[in-house]
Amino acid sequence: MPNETNDEEVKGKKPSWMDGFKSVMYGMAGHDMARYALKTRGSMEHLFILITMGDLLGIPILPPYYSLRLLPYVVPQISTWKRRMLREKDLTDALA
Amino acid sequence: MNAVVTLFIGVVAIFLGYGFYAKTIDRKVIQPDGKKATPARMYMDGVDFTPANRNVLFGYQFKSIAALGPITGPIVAVQWGWLPALLWIIFGTFFIGWVQDYSSIMLGVREDGQSFGALSYRFISPRSRSILLTFIYFYLLLIMAAFGKIVGYDLMTNPAVPLGLLLVIGVGLLAGQMTYKWKMDIIVTSGITVVLAFVGIWLGTLAPVQGFITNVINGAVAGTGPDGKAIQTYATVFGAVTRPQFIWSLVALVLCYFGAVLPIWRWAQPINYVSFWIVFLGILAGTLGLLIWHPAFPADFPAFTNWNGNLCASANCSSIDPKLLKNMVPLGPMWPLLFVTIACGAVSGWHSLVSSSGTARQLENEADALYVGGGAMFLEMFLATLSLLTAVVGVGVTKGFAGYVGLVAAGKNAGIFAIGLSEMMSKVGVPTSFGLPYGSVFLTLMGLTIMYLVVRFMRVASAEFLGDSIPLFKNTTFGSIIALLLSALMIYTGFWARVWVLFGGANQLMASLALLLVTLWLMSNGKNYMWTFIPFLFMFVTTIAALLLTAFSVFSQLGAANLPVDKIIGNWLAGLIAIYLVIAALFLAWDALKAFNKARENKPVKTSV
Repeated sequence: MPNETNDEEVKGKKPSWMDGFKSVMYGMAGHDMARYALKTRGSMEHLFILITMGDLLGIPILPPYYSLRLLPYVVPQISTWKRRMLREKDLTDALA
Repeated sequence: MNAVVTLFIGVVAIFLGYGFYAKTIDRKVIQPDGKKATPARMYMDGVDFTPANRNVLFGYQFKSIAALGPITGPIVAVQWGWLPALLWIIFGTFFIGWVQDYSSIMLGVREDGQSFGALSYRFISPRSRSILLTFIYFYLLLIMAAFGKIVGYDLMTNPAVPLGLLLVIGVGLLAGQMTYKWKMDIIVTSGITVVLAFVGIWLGTLAPVQGFITNVINGAVAGTGPDGKAIQTYATVFGAVTRPQFIWSLVALVLCYFGAVLPIWRWAQPINYVSFWIVFLGILAGTLGLLIWHPAFPADFPAFTNWNGNLCASANCSSIDPKLLKNMVPLGPMWPLLFVTIACGAVSGWHSLVSSSGTARQLENEADALYVGGGAMFLEMFLATLSLLTAVVGVGVTKGFAGYVGLVAAGKNAGIFAIGLSEMMSKVGVPTSFGLPYGSVFLTLMGLTIMYLVVRFMRVASAEFLGDSIPLFKNTTFGSIIALLLSALMIYTGFWARVWVLFGGANQLMASLALLLVTLWLMSNGKNYMWTFIPFLFMFVTTIAALLLTAFSVFSQLGAANLPVDKIIGNWLAGLIAIYLVIAALFLAWDALKAFNKARENKPVKTSV
């Protein structure tokens, strides 16, 4: 849900008061959980790409044969992975 | 005045502040462009940068900024009278609070979602980044001390609270298991766990449970307080710290340890989820109860006590136990101390960290920033006002001003909220015998929610600062234990009122630094910056004065006769931290002054905004 816009908005309908209330409640109760789940997934993807595509960073872990076989599955993740890897990180990131 | 009129004043302030002032600034100065791609869209990585619906973000922002601060601060500040506290909550939010939250989001959005460390490096100076991060570490240590004291000394020493709290935590763990391992539907999970949490709190109120905790854990009764209740006076190795305070603070720290080292889905997150419902339902029932009850302010509850917040100059303290009276020191001069005592309810630096590192990276549309940042802050103002009313009418109507003074003397500042909330909830049919421990569990959970996060952050920070030179700090357990030991030292040795003011001071200083960054950013873009610069000046001068005054107070107390060793250590620590914060802030201000001059000389590049 965190990366979704309101379903009603997508369908072109004006979201009702109740839809807004539900979203606010979700934001208070569950949005954090969804973000943590995404962060966990992101960390796992980092590790996976590092193992399979380490050659890209000059860290040969898997023989290139296997990397090449996995490449089609990893390609969709590469652009977001690069953004995460190259972004300047800070201690305050751990707070939010 | 009637309590409902006070709430109405709050609503009018929201209408004027949000509807006119904030919208004018948004439209004329920031000029958000709904068609512009935000960092959440431009740099979407599916983790940190992820666009979210404006209502979801509003809820997220409010939940992230509302903790013990907006609840405890107003209750303590009533020592100057309810009028100064109410005025600061309203005007602080109106002129400074929303400004900081909203502008921090916009700064993050317009500067590619960069964090405050990176922004201070760019806009102030390279060294400001390191200063800021060490500053944040001490700030978090003060959060641990202030919240840890509330949880361990005030709330959990009530024998009706601990079992309920531990059972709610157990239910939270069950919620995690049901959600992540058994893959159960979230609605079913929520329904089952919330009902179980209520049953857990109720079990804690049963007489045999309370008797067991009183006799076996808290220790035998050694005397009675002004309210006729038992006081435990058995000292521990920490001098003035009594046995129940020691035991329950230790329990709170152990809970924080688990929160810091266990996977977040296993401990902190599901417990926070169940806690949310306890807190939400409590606030809802309290507000409804207040509206039904609509009591007038009690005649004996002064609008203004005196400049120094000296309760005994406005109330008859002769009935209070001399031992308790000794601990009841006047808060100090209203300026600057009121403005740091109420932090989160009016303005808080914590919000700027959440706004820049969290919300700004999820904002889908620039035009949503005011609704999310400003709106959540105005809602928090409402929460702070409600908290103020728990003291003034919740306790004031039922126990009178003398009752409030007695509770302050007994160190029950957070307990005042629990009592007031239980009185309000009783108007919707919740018996006070359940409402009081419910309010205490509610507050304890709110405190613990932040404390888990803080210990986790302190662990990461120590690994970052010291991990290269001392590799042991990279160890999760070691880093957490060091953070908890430092927290324990602050909890067991500090005077709560001083620790709270220091925490508020660090918080407000953080807010003023956020305003400073925004001012520099506005200047560099050729925008009107007075709406952030004047609040920055006020908060900076006020907070430096408050910290210096606190340092002076704690150092001058060192000369007092018969001061226990733990309090001597605590005063030294508090004084040194206050001085460090002031020096760090002055360094940052000096660098900022140079950056100001540089920004004035350079012609702004208007196309960048």
